[in-house]
Amino acid sequence: MTGFFSSRNPAPCDLSFTVNGEMKTVRAYPMERLLDVLRHQLELSGAKEGCGEGECGSCSVLLNGALVNSCLLPVLQAQGADIVTIEGLAAGAQLDRLQEAFLTCGGAQCGICTPGMILAAHHLLRRKPDPTMDEIREGLSGNLCRCTGYVQIFEAVAEAARRRVNS
Amino acid sequence: MVSSTEFGQGTKTVLCQIAAEALGLPYENVEIAQADTNEVPNSGPTVASRTVMVVGKLVQSAALGIKQTLIASGLLGDSYSPEEFRAACRSQVATLGSFRSWARYEAPADVFWDDDKYRGEAYAAFAWAVYVAEVTVDLTTYTASIDDFVAVQEVGKVLHPVLARGQIAGGIAQGIGYTLYEKVIWQDGRMQNGQMTNYIMPTSADLPPIRVFFEEMGNIHGAFGAKGIGELPMDGPAPAILNAVEDAVKFRFNSIPLLPEDIFEALVDREPHAAGRVR
Repeated sequence: MTGFFSSRNPAPCDLSFTVNGEMKTVRAYPMERLLDVLRHQLELSGAKEGCGEGECGSCSVLLNGALVNSCLLPVLQAQGADIVTIEGLAAGAQLDRLQEAFLTCGGAQCGICTPGMILAAHHLLRRKPDPTMDEIREGLSGNLCRCTGYVQIFEAVAEAARRRVNS
Repeated sequence: MVSSTEFGQGTKTVLCQIAAEALGLPYENVEIAQADTNEVPNSGPTVASRTVMVVGKLVQSAALGIKQTLIASGLLGDSYSPEEFRAACRSQVATLGSFRSWARYEAPADVFWDDDKYRGEAYAAFAWAVYVAEVTVDLTTYTASIDDFVAVQEVGKVLHPVLARGQIAGGIAQGIGYTLYEKVIWQDGRMQNGQMTNYIMPTSADLPPIRVFFEEMGNIHGAFGAKGIGELPMDGPAPAILNAVEDAVKFRFNSIPLLPEDIFEALVDREPHAAGRVR
């Protein structure tokens, strides 16, 4: 690991981590953004670059279960980690219940915030399977949406929670 | 079909609905081409709430043209299955080589628009709305926040309830944003605060519940009675919110964005001892 942290040695290095259940090894500059490695090297274009400064949440991914902005994360910090992107949520053609609920409730319009928003909602429902409306508002407040006014996003998350509680 | 652009508002869905309804076919049977003027007519800009009302009406007319042509040429009866429709189209293409139907916008005779002076009626019908904001002004922080927001929106005809509500709620959220949060600072012709760290837009925790109700009064000039939908909800929230702020603090604000420092300045100028919380 020592080479990663040396500012005199910015050469690309091999990094391994799990993405959506599969072990991946990439050759990347240690300070490359995880977002770029995911999108360009691993061709997982679900995570979007919105602001590129950690404000909007559209690049959100799960890293060891935590919701992180992949635009702020140097890829070296992903060494050995377990990463889940939006592509890892559906089981083949079977959409995740959150994805289904976003479709039926009108939770997505232009779609740029949607991958991050769904991962933030997924992260919220793991901690609080039956959240109140205030918990949903709070839980998604790190993910900005310009199109929907959030109303139908909240409804989608509540609907997904109901589907799990009822099933 | 047309070159109106989909950017999440639901253009493709609703235009396919209109075509399907006009043709008497299931929605799933309609496919829409990419908005590329190499393939489809230039249907003008995707702006000003005109897509469903104006372009949608053209889609409806062109689809009716297809149906009426097939019926007039004896290939189709008055009622038909999707299979019969497909067979009729195939026969028509076999005879003519191709089979297309076009529609062009013509302003209704009683609607006059002067493009030189920019006067007159731009559209044949306009949407109506009522916006009600309940606002709290915190007299410690001088922050105005919205507790509740209700919209009653007359759109002629709701063609897709989920998408229609999304247009209204989203427009209102943007309206609330530029009323209370979003201040563009210009310097030498450039936006000085073009980052999300210094240009603040509302998060999910900043917005009130946005409750949307529809009225449908129809519009003979719009697709299946629809009027424009997307733009109006961005126009009404600011005056509603400023009126509510005036009602709370008895001070008339005439410009937006209304930031805490603006409220502070006005109220402290007026009564330096103001404190507490009014509603």
